[in-house]
Amino acid sequence: MDTLATPAATSLAAAPAIDRRTPRWRAWLLLTPMIVWLVAFVVAPTAILFVYSFCERDELGRVVFSFTLENYQRVSDPIYLRIFLRSIGYAGLTTAICVVVGYPVAYCIGRASEVWRQRLLLLVMVPFWTSFLIRTYAWITILKQEGLLNGALQAMALVASPLDLLYTPFAVVIGLVYAYLPFMMLPIYGSVEKLDGSLIEAAHDLGAGPLRAFSSVIIPLTMPGIAAGTLLVFVPAIGMFAITDLLGGARVPLIGNVIQNQFMQARDWPFGAALGMVFMGLFAVSYWLLQLRGGASDELHG
Amino acid sequence: MKLLLRFFAALLAAAVTFAARAANELNLFGWSEYVPQAVIDGFTEETGIKVNFETYASNEELISKLVAGGGNYDLIQPSDYAAEAMIRQNLLAPLDLKRLHNLKNIDPEFLHRPHDPDGRFTVPYMSGTVGIVVNTGKVKTPIKGYRDVFQPAFKDRIVVLNDNREIVSWALDTLGLPINTITPENLAKVRPVIAEWVKLVKVFDSDSPKTALLNGDVDLGVVWSGEAAILWHQDKRFQYVIPAEGAHQFLDLLAIPATAKNKDAAHDFIDYILRPEVSKLISDAFPYTNPNREAHRLLSTEALDNPASYPHGDGGKLESFRDIGKAAADIDRLMTDLKSAR
Repeated sequence: MDTLATPAATSLAAAPAIDRRTPRWRAWLLLTPMIVWLVAFVVAPTAILFVYSFCERDELGRVVFSFTLENYQRVSDPIYLRIFLRSIGYAGLTTAICVVVGYPVAYCIGRASEVWRQRLLLLVMVPFWTSFLIRTYAWITILKQEGLLNGALQAMALVASPLDLLYTPFAVVIGLVYAYLPFMMLPIYGSVEKLDGSLIEAAHDLGAGPLRAFSSVIIPLTMPGIAAGTLLVFVPAIGMFAITDLLGGARVPLIGNVIQNQFMQARDWPFGAALGMVFMGLFAVSYWLLQLRGGASDELHG
Repeated sequence: MKLLLRFFAALLAAAVTFAARAANELNLFGWSEYVPQAVIDGFTEETGIKVNFETYASNEELISKLVAGGGNYDLIQPSDYAAEAMIRQNLLAPLDLKRLHNLKNIDPEFLHRPHDPDGRFTVPYMSGTVGIVVNTGKVKTPIKGYRDVFQPAFKDRIVVLNDNREIVSWALDTLGLPINTITPENLAKVRPVIAEWVKLVKVFDSDSPKTALLNGDVDLGVVWSGEAAILWHQDKRFQYVIPAEGAHQFLDLLAIPATAKNKDAAHDFIDYILRPEVSKLISDAFPYTNPNREAHRLLSTEALDNPASYPHGDGGKLESFRDIGKAAADIDRLMTDLKSAR
């Protein structure tokens, strides 16, 4: 989270620097709620997890403060590596589908007239008015054997016997895409809205067909939106456990389920903490690698 | 829907923790979907004592909040094996049995169990079993035990509790091993059995296993007896069977944490719940096995005939869980491994 906080801090601190009469402390004052929030809900819990991950547990599952590396040795077991990889697979597929489905919609909304843009955006937001869990339960009603989808398919005589939809990987991916699609669409919409129409016209004037204009002009210009959307979808999707439990029937554990289990059933907080730390470390490294590549390509273009 | 309730409970928990704790308040920490609101309201109406009700969804959650939260709770509802661990760690206060005039209503069969041999710390609340539910409309072969359920013929037609210790105990019973001896050797023996079972199961769900059965997504289940009782009440095709190889019988209790601030109110509440007419309200809402003999007189014949609430005697022996300490982690690892292998 530090990487997120720093740009915000510099931009806020830079603004008053122009007006030299404004003392610096005012910038800090404005930042205080954010800093308090980050320390209380990000830095402190992470520090606690970090300490716990080197501890042991007693019979009741209480954390005993004695130094051990045992939890990290357990994390390196191939079982957990397999689960990590599977979670990345599910999250990756979800992200890919979200891009393919979300991009055209976001593009159309972004290019629509002012009035329609507001209406369509509202429609994207409407699902958030209902709790996420209730919406997931609704999918059970749709996908179950005697459910709405199977009923419709049978009524149209498209299938002879009900399809097996609920409690399958298919249902899990549907649930994940459904839950995270708006998080892909909104950042892309933001990029599309800012897109300068004259640049597309210029591409056409210079002889580019619709495909060429799309791939060489529109996609690169909306890339920041796609990148932000990818991050907003991929990161939460990888740790999700409620959807795998409810729509997947908890048959195949993803990393979120394994970590949740350590804090509930297994009463093994130190091991759960170690899994969480490794998980976070992987994210930090992949984010850093992405930044490195992004930086390199910026230089090329610059 | 328990997941949803848990979410709201977590939100409420924060509020309750900061609420003022006057002398005339009782902080009850109980299972979700186990204490009817009518019982709590009736107690408040009679005594004027306000009840702050906070819920949990597993014994593990109860234990971790109790050891972390100190003296926030006056009355808790642990299961037998959790109470055993708590008694061993001196987390429970001895009860003043003289104040519990209605304790005589409890069937002696449910008293002085191994978790609390002297009966000094706990009072039975409700009991139940974990057994097999069969949709007899769909499954025509006789189902007597775990071996009949976990057959290739029923692949993807089975729901089981998403509870690793339960599943391991069924496999131990199937092999004739003691369900409370969780050693590396015994776990190695059940490993191939569970590996086969896991491939056949369609849904793992502890919160509401009846949903998959009612929705027609599965035909067989190994579930809590209370869930089975509700199914039978809705549709008589759902038959409950105590597995021939043996089954887990759980006993949920009322107990007072050693750090409780309002032990007087906690005693009053326990004695209130032991009244037959109050106990009946609990049975009506949550049809588990009621250990209160006097309450049975007030129950309807249909409720008493429900084979899931009051098994008719066929089936294997019933056994309680005992505290297994750190072995819970070994079970978790085994099950995670087997579930990932499919």
